[in-house]
Amino acid sequence: MEIENLVAFCRALRERGLSVTPPEVVAAATVLQVIDTSDRDEVFLSLRSVLTTSVDDFPVFGELFETFWNRSPRKLVERDSGTTVRARNVSQPKGLAFFLENWSASVRAGAEAVKVPGASDIDSRAQKVFADFSHEELEQISQLARRIVRRLASKPSRRWQPVARGHRVNLRRSLRLSLKTGGELIDLAYKRRRAKRTKLVVICDVSGSMDMYSRLLLQFVYGLQNSFAKVESFVFATSLSRITGELKNKTYRRALDRLASNVHGWSGGTRIGASLANFNVQWLRRIDKRTVIIILSDGWDTGEPEQLAQALSKLKERAGRLVWLNPLLSNSSYQPLTRGMQAALPFINVFAPAHDLASLRALEPHLVL
Amino acid sequence: MRQIQQMLADQVYIADAGIATALYLSMALGKPLLVEGPAGVGKTEIAKALANAVDTKLIRLQCYEGLDATTALYEWNYPKQLLHLKLEESSSASEAEKEAAIFGEAFLLKRPLLQAITEHERAPVLLIDEIDRSDEEFEAFLLEVLSDFQVTIPEIGTIKATHRPHVVLTSNRSRDLSDALRRRCLYHWIDYPSLEKELEIVRAKVPAVGKVLSQRLTRVMQATRTMGLSKIPGVAETLDWANALVALQATELNDEIMAETIGCFLKDEADIATFKATQVTD
Repeated sequence: MEIENLVAFCRALRERGLSVTPPEVVAAATVLQVIDTSDRDEVFLSLRSVLTTSVDDFPVFGELFETFWNRSPRKLVERDSGTTVRARNVSQPKGLAFFLENWSASVRAGAEAVKVPGASDIDSRAQKVFADFSHEELEQISQLARRIVRRLASKPSRRWQPVARGHRVNLRRSLRLSLKTGGELIDLAYKRRRAKRTKLVVICDVSGSMDMYSRLLLQFVYGLQNSFAKVESFVFATSLSRITGELKNKTYRRALDRLASNVHGWSGGTRIGASLANFNVQWLRRIDKRTVIIILSDGWDTGEPEQLAQALSKLKERAGRLVWLNPLLSNSSYQPLTRGMQAALPFINVFAPAHDLASLRALEPHLVL
Repeated sequence: MRQIQQMLADQVYIADAGIATALYLSMALGKPLLVEGPAGVGKTEIAKALANAVDTKLIRLQCYEGLDATTALYEWNYPKQLLHLKLEESSSASEAEKEAAIFGEAFLLKRPLLQAITEHERAPVLLIDEIDRSDEEFEAFLLEVLSDFQVTIPEIGTIKATHRPHVVLTSNRSRDLSDALRRRCLYHWIDYPSLEKELEIVRAKVPAVGKVLSQRLTRVMQATRTMGLSKIPGVAETLDWANALVALQATELNDEIMAETIGCFLKDEADIATFKATQVTD
């Protein structure tokens, strides 16, 4: 592979979302000098170890390597721009942002006919459903999120931090101080345990029946995540997607845009059990006793309740607390009778409504372990 | 590269071309190697085999949550310092002399990172195991050490590595590592081995298990991994099982032997139930 070819290859990788920066390109070029470049496998393995940073990059790498290996440099430049354009077009499916736009537009147009039990009694400001929230109210949600984050940071960790007055002597500092007084320990320095943060995992149902609530919770999760808490967020309808990265954005609008371009299967049917089982396979190891798991769903599962029960029992075993938010619960006549909900109930620590700001506020004490 | 593969094979480590290439590049470019993969596929073994192969010291830093600089890098030996000061109390040495004395190398407790940097004879292999278990602060700190291989101790000064250690980091992907760290490393992913490779590993590591039996048990292991269990057994479990079979002097895998030794590779009650159910339908 010639150097021009290599650079183009690196650019193509970057286009496809791999973290290939100039230092990597330089490293790759260096690599080509120390290996046998006529051996295809050797080049493949070497470049892969330099240019990828995760096993998730392997398929893209393999695919592009195939096209770039044995290609003449000139042809490549032409073809390269072509693939770039195609890649951009492909990565713009209609998604959440598109859907939300339409949805909120329909509400604004007076389509209040969306009959949702939880939202039926709109008497105070806090009881409004999320779609009509003003800037001010969005700010309130963020404030609430920040307050919760502060409360989450209350467990002692194994790490120490120096403090002016405490119970444990900070020997290192005290010794240092004692040098002032000729090696005699007079002033003691202290240390205490640092506070440890509780981790939060939010798994949000975005299937058709949950649309407006998931939007509220996503806003809330966004607030949490941008207050430097350890929050992992996932959405599911028929399959599970991790959206932690998408929500780590400066503005909510941009976060939604990114979400929209990355998440498939919004607002389809619901397969809670399968999605949670999938969560367990991929992410269960991140869950520990300091993790609070919040599941937001109305419990309308089209899958088998046994699967849901099994997945939840596994989660419960690992997690510190399992909170299930069901927006339908705010309706006093609601009974959790769906098969999915029935299967889930034995494993849930907290079963609470979540349809407005007030219910989120009530959630606060449950999030602190 | 073939040479590295052979060297590892001499250490009874069956390396495929991918691992050999990654190790070769890591040594040729002086870059740390980040190895990821599921539990029990021999990530840690790579570093051990490498250290043995190039006949050098293996320095291991096991990461855990809350690991910090004092346990990873260095710490002053306070009791010794205090004792020394007490002994020197009546001496006529000035304060500066006393200070110089207690902040000398004799009072320094070298933790793995500093050990790796100050290794004089030859470049050691530094294994930073399960880096994903440490927290982000430590990762950032590690980044600094790995880029310059020098450490500044305020009381002594800057210590620079005489030989750049060969660094191997392993991760189970229990959390995302920072991009900065990933970019600084070469990357290699070890997956569960293929039937042929696993067979080769079993025969190399546990030669006492016969040809037929090794074939059968590897087949069972390969099948087990596709059952969708909650704890998928790795190669380590295969070897445990092979050793157990040898210890029991088993010659074939009948139901009785299976029942006795199933605990070697399945460590979860629900998994065992699934395994048994699948077997019946086989």
